[in-house]
Amino acid sequence: MVRAYKVKGEKRKKKGENYDKEEIEEHLEEEPKVSEKRAKMEHTAADTEAAERVVDLLAGIPVVATDQTSKPGVIFIVERASLEIAKIGKTYQLLNSDEHSNFLKKNGRNPSDYRPDIAHQAMLSILDSRVNKAGRLKALYVKTEKGVLFEVKPHVRIPRTFKRFAGIMLQLLQKLSITAVGKREKLLRVIKNPVTQYLPIDCRKIGFSHSSEKLVDIQDYVNGVNNDTNLVFVVGAMAHGKIDKDYVEDYLSVSDYPLSAAYCISMITNAVERKWKIL
Amino acid sequence: MAKTSKTESSSKKKKMKKSSKTGPKSKDMKLKPPKENPFEAIWSRRKFDILGKKRKGEQRRIGEARSSAIEKRKKTLLKEYEQSGKSSMFVDKRIGENDEGLGEFDKAIMRSQRERQMKLKKNKYNLSDEDEEDFDFGVSLGRDDFDEEVPFDEDEEDYARDDKSAILGQLNSHGSQNAQPGPVEAEENWKKSKKEVMEEVIQKSKFFKAQKAKDREENDELTEQLDKDFTSLVNSKALLSLTQPDKINALKALVNKNISVDNVKKDEVADAPRKGSIGKEKPDTYEMLVSEMAMDIRARPSNRTKTPEEIVQEEKERLELLEKERQKRMAAVDDESDEDGNASDDDSKLVRDPRTISGDDLGDDLEEAPRNKLGWIGEILRRKESELESEDAASTGDSDSEEDDGEDEGSDDGEEEGSGNGDDEGSDEYEEGKTQTIKDWEQSDDDIIDDAKKVMKIKDLKGVDVKGKEVGTVQTKKEKTTLKHPQSELPYTIEAPKTLEEFTSLIDNCSDDQVIEAIRRIRTFNAITVAAENKKKMQVFYGVLLQYFAVLANKKPLNFKLLNLLVKPLMEMSAATPYFAAICARQRLQRIRTQFCEDLKHTGKSSWPSLKTVFLLRLWSMIFPCSDFRHCVMTPAILLMCEYLMRCPIICGRDIAIASFLCSLLLSVTKQSQKFCPEAIVFLQTLLMAALDREQRFENLQLNNLMEIKELGPLLCIRSSNAEMGSLDFLELMDLPEDSQYFDSDNYRASILVTVLETLQGFVNVYKDLISFPEIFMPISKLLCKLSGENHIPGALREKIEDVSQLIDTKAQEHHMLRQPLKMRKKKPVPIRMLNPKFEENYVKGRDYDPDRERAEKKKLKKRIKEEAKGAARELRKDKDFLAKAKEREKALLAEEKAEKYGKALAFLQEQEHAFKSGQLGKGRKRRR
Repeated sequence: MVRAYKVKGEKRKKKGENYDKEEIEEHLEEEPKVSEKRAKMEHTAADTEAAERVVDLLAGIPVVATDQTSKPGVIFIVERASLEIAKIGKTYQLLNSDEHSNFLKKNGRNPSDYRPDIAHQAMLSILDSRVNKAGRLKALYVKTEKGVLFEVKPHVRIPRTFKRFAGIMLQLLQKLSITAVGKREKLLRVIKNPVTQYLPIDCRKIGFSHSSEKLVDIQDYVNGVNNDTNLVFVVGAMAHGKIDKDYVEDYLSVSDYPLSAAYCISMITNAVERKWKIL
Repeated sequence: MAKTSKTESSSKKKKMKKSSKTGPKSKDMKLKPPKENPFEAIWSRRKFDILGKKRKGEQRRIGEARSSAIEKRKKTLLKEYEQSGKSSMFVDKRIGENDEGLGEFDKAIMRSQRERQMKLKKNKYNLSDEDEEDFDFGVSLGRDDFDEEVPFDEDEEDYARDDKSAILGQLNSHGSQNAQPGPVEAEENWKKSKKEVMEEVIQKSKFFKAQKAKDREENDELTEQLDKDFTSLVNSKALLSLTQPDKINALKALVNKNISVDNVKKDEVADAPRKGSIGKEKPDTYEMLVSEMAMDIRARPSNRTKTPEEIVQEEKERLELLEKERQKRMAAVDDESDEDGNASDDDSKLVRDPRTISGDDLGDDLEEAPRNKLGWIGEILRRKESELESEDAASTGDSDSEEDDGEDEGSDDGEEEGSGNGDDEGSDEYEEGKTQTIKDWEQSDDDIIDDAKKVMKIKDLKGVDVKGKEVGTVQTKKEKTTLKHPQSELPYTIEAPKTLEEFTSLIDNCSDDQVIEAIRRIRTFNAITVAAENKKKMQVFYGVLLQYFAVLANKKPLNFKLLNLLVKPLMEMSAATPYFAAICARQRLQRIRTQFCEDLKHTGKSSWPSLKTVFLLRLWSMIFPCSDFRHCVMTPAILLMCEYLMRCPIICGRDIAIASFLCSLLLSVTKQSQKFCPEAIVFLQTLLMAALDREQRFENLQLNNLMEIKELGPLLCIRSSNAEMGSLDFLELMDLPEDSQYFDSDNYRASILVTVLETLQGFVNVYKDLISFPEIFMPISKLLCKLSGENHIPGALREKIEDVSQLIDTKAQEHHMLRQPLKMRKKKPVPIRMLNPKFEENYVKGRDYDPDRERAEKKKLKKRIKEEAKGAARELRKDKDFLAKAKEREKALLAEEKAEKYGKALAFLQEQEHAFKSGQLGKGRKRRR
C-alpha cells in the first residue's frame, strides 16, 4: 500500500501575523525564570534604584515623555528587486548581469534586467539612515521580481560588500530565513504575499515613479502629511520599468530627472528626518 | 491480414538487418520500456523555479510503480508463500534459467558454449599431437601443468634463463647454445630454484670485480698521462716566466727523478714522490714549495669595535699617562716639559697659562709669540668693540646683542675694576666665603645681591648658555692675557673632591675655563662606567658642585659666565645620577621654603627670593622635565614660585623686577605642559592695576571684588609723558640699592610694563586652549583698555597694550563661538543595536552547517536510520497486505470449491430423497411401478 496522497489532518490555518510563535513562546518561558532570579539577586539593588529615580524626578525638572511606541514610523517596501538564484554549473548563485551574462543569454533572459546591486544599495541606504538609527523605521519589505516577498528587520546589519550580500540573499532564497549570529532571532525571512496584510491600518502608502504626473518637493509633501500617520514608501529597485501596484494610494515624482533607487531613498529619509527633527 | 503480415515481415527484416549490424543494440530495443502514459504520472508543483536546475525526481509514475511492486512480490513473496506448505521443492538449475534478462536465444547460446567447454576439458587427458596443442592457445594452461610435472632437462633451461647476465659479463664460459629463445617469456614466470639464484649472485660479484679492476687500470693510465704533461710543462718556458728560477730548478729535479723512477718501475708511478721522500731523507723541494705557498699572505683580522666602557677606560688611561708625563716633566727641566706639553697635548694649549709661556719663552717657539701679541692687541680692540656694542644695543634694543653686551660688559667691568688683579680680589673674597660654613651661604642671601648683573630680558638661560660658549671661545685668548697672576697648573688625574673646601682649594686660582676643564677631568677620571665605586664619588662630587654653583651665585662680583659654564656639566651629571640629583634638589627646596616662611614672619623684611634662589630655580627647570604632570622636583619648585608671587608683599620697585622675572620663569616652565598657574596671572593683573590712576583702580576693584587682589600703590603709574621704554638688565637692577632713584623713574616703569605685557602675551598664547580662557583673561583685557586710555602712556607702549588686548579679545571670541548652552542630562541618543546575520559563504541547501562535525554526522546518520526504518516498515506493510490478499484469494477459492462440493452432494441427496419419497428407488423402477 502506498500512502494516501491527500494530506492527513487539518490544514494549517493562517493565524494572523503570528509567525514568531516559537520565539514568543520561548520568551514567555524564559521571562519568569529570569525575573525570579533577579528578584533574589537584586532585592537590594531595586531599593537603590528607586531612590535614584526619586532623585531624578526632582521638582522643577520637567519629565519628558519617553514613550517611543506611540511615535509614528516609516515602512519601506522595495518592489521588483531582481534577486534571483540559478544553478550555474554545480553551484547556486545570485544572478548578476556582470558575471552571468552568458548564462542569461543562453537561457533567453535579458542580462540587463538582473541587477541585484540596486536592491543592495537601496537596502543599505534605508538601513543606514538616521530614521533607522533613531528606531523609527518600522519594517522593510523586499519583493523580488519573481514575487518572493521577504521581510528585513530594521536592526540587521546588511553586508556592505556585494559578494557577501549575494551570499546572504542566496541563503535566504533557499533556506527562507536568516538568523542572527549567536541568536535564534530571525533577521530576514520569506513571508507570504501580499504585503498589505503586514501594513498597519493607519498608514499612507506612497509610491515613487518618474513617470508620475505629480511632481512634488518631497520635503513639502512629507511635512504636509498628518503627524500621527505611519508612512509607507514603495520604491522600485529595478533597472527598467516602473512599479504598478494597486495598493499604492499616491504616486509621486520627486525629481525632474530619473533617480537611482538609493538616492531617491536618501531623499525620502532626509525629508522624514527633517520633519521629525532627527539630527 | 496479408498486408499486415507483409508489413510485419518487412519490419522483421529491418530488425534483423539492424541486429546484424549492431549486435548488442538489439537487446536494448527489446528492453525499451513502453511509452509513458501521462495519466499514470503525478507531479509536484515547484514553488520557486530555479533557472538551470534540472527537474529530476519530481515526476512520479504512481500506477506503474504500484503494479511493478505487485509483480515483484508475485515473483518472490508469493512463490515463497506457496512453497511454505511444501516439504520438497523443484529447483531449476538449467543454465541461464535464473537470469531474467536473457532471452531464449541467449540461453541457448550459453548452453552450447558450456557444452563445448566441457568437451575441451575432457581433452586434457587425451594424448594427441604436440603441434595441435601449440596452436591451440585456449588450452595453453593445460600444457603448462603438463610440463611442470616433467622436469627432465632442467640444467639447460637454467642456462637459458641466465643468458641475460651472461650478456652483461661476457664471462660465462658455457655460453648459451642450448638456450631456447621462444619460450623465454613463459619461463620467466617460473620460480627460480636456489641453485639458480646462487649462480646469479656469483655472476654478479664476478662482474663487479672485473669492473673495479678496469677502473683502477684507467686511473693509473690517467695519472701517468698527467705526469707526462707536467714534465713537458716544466720543461717548457711558460712556467719559468711565472715562477722563481730556483723553484723551477727544484721542479725540474723533481720531474727528472720522476722520470727515472718511471723507467725503473712503471707500476708505482703514483706513489713515486712519497717513496722518494721516505727513501732519501732529505727535505723535498716539492714539499718546501708547497709549504712556502701555504705560508703566503693571508688576511689578518682587524681590531674589534670597542664598547663604550672600553673607550672610557682608554680615555682614563690616556689621562693617567699624561699625568705621569707631567710629573716627570715637573721633576725634569721646566722648559723641556713645557715644550713637550705643548707639542703633545692639544687641550693643554688652550688651558695652559699663556703668561708662563710668555715668561719662559726663549724666542724659539714661533707659534706662541704672535698669538700672545695678538692677545694683547685683541684685548684693547675688544674693549673698544664692546663699548661700541653696548651703545648699539642700548639704542636698538635687540635682545641677542644685548646678551652679548651683558657678557662683554661683565668682563669689561671685571677688567676695569680689577685693573689687573680683579681676579685676585675675587679669589680673596672667595677665601672669605670659604671660611663660612656650607650652610652659611644660604642664610647670607641679603648682602650679596648688590654686585650681580643679568639681562632682564626674558630669555632662556640656555640660549645664554650657547652664547656664553661662543663668547667663551672668543674670549679665551683675551682671558689668557687678562689673568696677570701666575696660575697653578691643573693635574690631569683628579680624584673627585669630597667637600666644598677640597674643591675650592683645587680650583683656587684657576680661570673659568680651567674650572670647567677641571670638572671635565674629574668626570672622565671618575666616570661611573669605569668602576662601580665611582658612582658614590660622583654623587658626592655632584653635591659639591651644586654647592659651588650656589656659592658662586651668592658671590658679590657675580661671575655670570662661570655660572653659565657650570650649567652644562651639572646637567650632564644629573642625567647620569638622576635620583641623587632629585634628592639634592628636594632637600634644597625644603630649606628654601622654611627660610621663606621664616622671612614672612618678620614683617618689614623683604621675603622675595635671593638671586641665588632664582638661579637655582632656573637651573632645576633646565635639569628636570617641566612638562611632567607630577615631578618630584619641578612640582614643588613651581609651587614655591607661585607662593612667592602670592605671599610676598611688593614694597619697592626692585620687588617688582624680581616678581616679573619669576613670572617669566613660570611662563617658560608652563609653556610646554600648559599647566595653569593662576598666581602668575593674578600677579600680572595686579601689576597692570598698579599702573592705573587711583580713581580708576577703585572702579576696577569694584568690578573684581570677587578676586583677591593685593592692593598696590600706583607704583607703576606713569606720570610724565616723556617716558622712555628701554630693556632692563635684571642683574643690573638687582645691583641697585632698594631705595634707588631709578625705581621711581618713569623710564623704569615703562620698561617694566613692557616686560609685563610681553609675559602676559606669552601666557595668553599658552593658555589659549583652556576652556575658561575668556573668564580668566577678559578682566585683564578690560584693564588693558583702561590702561591704554591713560594720559601719559608713550605711543609704543600703547600700541603694545592694544595689541595684547586685541589678542585676548579675539581668542575669547573664538571660545565664545564654540560654547554651547548647558543641556540637561546631556546624552547622545543611542542608536538601535544592530545584529549581524549568520550566513555561509557558499550555501548549499541540505548541507548541515553545524560547526560541530561529529554532531552533524550523527544527525545525518540518525536521519538515514529513520528513513530506512520507515522504508522497511512500509515494505513490510505492503508485504502483509499482499500476502493477506493472496490468502484471501486462496480462501475464496477454497470456499468456492467447498460450496460447489457441498452443492453437488446436496443435489445428490435431494435427488435420492425425492426418489425415495416418490416410491421409486430408481428411474426405471418408478416408471415400472
